This record gives sequence, structure tokens and C-alpha cells, in this order.
Amino acid sequence: MAVEYGNGVNMGSVFDIKLIPEYLVKLIPAIPTTLLILVSALFCGTIIALFVALVRLYKIPVLNQLALVYVSFIRGVPTLIQLFLVFYGIPSVLLLLNIDISRAPALIFVIVTYSLGMGAFLSEIIRTAVNSVDRGQSEAAYSVGMTSREAFVRIVFPQALLVAMPNLGNLVISSMKETSLAFSLGIFDLVGIGKVIGARTFHFLEIYIDLAIIYFVMCFILEKVFTRIEARLQSRGHKPITNHMEEKWA
Amino acid sequence: MGIKIDYSFIFSALVQELKVLPLTLTITIVPLMFGLGIGIIIAIIRLRKIPVVDRIAAFYVSFVRGTPLLLHIMLIYFALPMAFDALALKYKWSLHSKDIPIIVFIFVAFSINAGAYMSEIIRSGILSVNYGQVEAAYSVGMTAPQAMRRIVLPQALAVNLPMLCSMFIALLQGSSLAFSISIVEVTGEANIYAAASFKFLEAFIAAAIIYWGMTILVERITSILEKRVQRYNRGGVT
Repeated sequence: MAVEYGNGVNMGSVFDIKLIPEYLVKLIPAIPTTLLILVSALFCGTIIALFVALVRLYKIPVLNQLALVYVSFIRGVPTLIQLFLVFYGIPSVLLLLNIDISRAPALIFVIVTYSLGMGAFLSEIIRTAVNSVDRGQSEAAYSVGMTSREAFVRIVFPQALLVAMPNLGNLVISSMKETSLAFSLGIFDLVGIGKVIGARTFHFLEIYIDLAIIYFVMCFILEKVFTRIEARLQSRGHKPITNHMEEKWA
Repeated sequence: MGIKIDYSFIFSALVQELKVLPLTLTITIVPLMFGLGIGIIIAIIRLRKIPVVDRIAAFYVSFVRGTPLLLHIMLIYFALPMAFDALALKYKWSLHSKDIPIIVFIFVAFSINAGAYMSEIIRSGILSVNYGQVEAAYSVGMTAPQAMRRIVLPQALAVNLPMLCSMFIALLQGSSLAFSISIVEVTGEANIYAAASFKFLEAFIAAAIIYWGMTILVERITSILEKRVQRYNRGGVT
């Protein structure tokens, strides 16, 4: 299958620093594929997460237990194994229903896997964030005559979002790093293209340095974006939590 | 007709993969120990804001956190032998990079990775310890390293036990990437065992059971340990 693994031989050509910018240019066109996986997973994952979080917050019987198993499974099984399980498992299951998707592009399986992963972690973030808002807040909202919808949208949600924001940022960044495993299903994302160039030129080290630079820059940008969003949210009347201990330790 | 899942193959794959579980655990636990050491050093450097070294430490942490584990493995796997051979040539060692067992590359890559994440965990742990404790330690005549070792670090680690558990789980799952440089751990064994009969789904189900089981086990142990460790501290949060 499309598993490209273990050549067992460590064969790099002589290191040539001039090749680093040359390959960097060749790798940049692969960035959209990586981002496509990330954004689709974020979109589908959010839908899954909202559903799972609601099931868990309202403790809907049976579904609640299923949600627990789902989250535990995603937490407990490495992404690489999840990719293979989805890639080999979903076609077999659908074949039982007489649906043949063996010709579906591998990208679909990758997006399904990352959406499931994102859904599980995001549902936990949403759940803990909503739970962190004091119940008195929605009671107070009711007492001034808000409907339950208003209380949620205007009182609970903004506070929950602020709590969830740092975790959300971390999740998106770690998911982007996880997409580096998509090549194992034969996707030509950043790592996939890197492997193709590497197989032709044997200048693996230069390519991996380029990949590290690209991922580092993308993470840096994402981090800045999330810090900015967080600062925006905090400036709307929420005081940032400062840690005085830090000054003492210095 | 649908493909039937071969249950007996899942079982035989499970038995086969359990045989290499010790290797998976080795490449999880050894880097965890080294990572703890690196993490403590980096955390102290960053808290004390030692000039220059502090900058390097900050870059190290943000670089590791900004790049995937797969790339750390690959960079070490290709860069370390080159550096080793260059040094061997210069100082006329009789050793060659081919003599280094491949598992060493995994240990190095995972330790570097774990060290960066661990330093953040330990840093937040140290910050959560009330500074009055350090002052109290000084007042009974302890030196700064003594206060750190006997008073601060035990509390810092205890507070962050759940995060150290997550670190262990992250490394355990990261170990599934070791096969990319041909180390046959659980995932590698699943690939090899399935290749002969093309029963990949069954082999990976077995691997998933092992990883999932290990994760649940570690989480259970952590929650028991947490109760123990926090016993001294009954009065709410620190």
C-alpha cells in the first residue's frame, strides 16, 4: 500500500547549505494541501465537537457513554494508527453496506481521521469551558429577565470562549503538526513532497531543515493570531490574569 | 460481498505485537527520564533569566514546540551521523556513525522533544509553589540548590502530575513514529506482521488495543498517585 517506511539505510548525500533555499521554494506549493487538511478538519471537527459536548453536558443516556468511549479512544490511540484504521476500516465497513469507496481519494480518509481527532479534543475543551462558567451567572441573567438563549449567547458563551481560547489555540497548533503524518497514506502534503524530492536527490537533511522552518513559521503565525484574538477578547472588560510569582522568581 | 474481519488474526497480531511492547515502553520511558532532566535545567535557566543562555533556551523550547515530532526524528537521524563522522575524522576516533545503534537516534530525538515540553510543565509547577516556602527554606539555612531540590521541585512535580501523565502518553503515542527509521516497535510489528497476508486492518486494530490499554492504565495509575501525592495538602488549591 501507500506506506512508505523504514528504508533501514541511512543514506544522505553530502550536506550542501545552498540547497536549503532551493528546496524551500519547491516545498512552498505544498503548504495549501496541509492547510486544506487543517481547515477541513477544524470545520468538520467543530460540528462533531458541538454535538459531543452537548451530549456530555446534558448527560444524554447511552449517547453519553458512547461519547466517553469515543473521546477515550481518540486520546488513547496514536494518530498514525487512527489514520490506518480509517483508511482500511471505513471501506470494509461500507462494503458490508454494498458501498464501494475503494477508489475514493486518500485525502478524504485523512480529513475524516483529523476531523474525528479534532472533534474529540474540541468537545472536551467546549465542555470544560462551559462548566467553568459559574452557574450563578446564568441564574443572574434569568433574574434580569433574559431568556435561556439570551443568557447563553450574551453571558455564558463570551466567558466560556475566553476560557477556551488558549486551549483552542494549542489544539489548532498541535493539529497542524499532526498533519505531518498524512504522507503515510500517500498524501502529497509538505512531508509528502519532501519525501518525493528526497527520494530523487538524497539530500534528506536539507529537506527536513526546510520542513522544520516551514512548520516553525506556520506555528509562529498561528500563535500570534491566537494571542491577538485572546487579547481582543480580554480587552472587552475581562481583566487578564497576571502572575505576580513570576517577578519574584526572577 | 463485504470483507470479513478475521478475528483470530487480530488475536495472533495482538500476541505478536505484545512481544515488542517492552521496546515501545523503553523508547517512551528512557526519553521521559532524560526529558525530565533537560526540562528541570531549562526551567531553572528561564526562571532565573540567566543572560544569553536564557535566549537559547527560549529558542530551543519554541523551536521544538513549533515543529512536528516526525521532523525531530528525521533531523536527528540525518544530522547526527554527519556531525559524528565529521568529529570522528577530525579527532581520529576509530568509531564510525554506522556503529551507533539506531535506537540512540530515537532516544536523542525524543529526549530533545520531551525536554522542551517538560520545561514548560516544570516552569509552571515551580511558579505555583508559594515563594514563602523558599524564604522559609533559606531561613532554616538551606542553600538555593537545596531549597530547589528538597522543597520546590517535589511540590512542582506533584502539582503537575496530570501533565506529566499527558507527557508520558504523548511520548507513548509518539513512539509509533519510531518505525519511520526502521525500529520495530508495536506499530512497526503491526506493519510487518500484516504485510504477508494484507490483513492490515486486523493488525492495526490489535495495535490500537495495545496503545489504548496502555493509555488507560497510565491514566489510572496517575489518578491513584495523585491522591497519594496530594495527601499532605488537604486545604484546597495551592
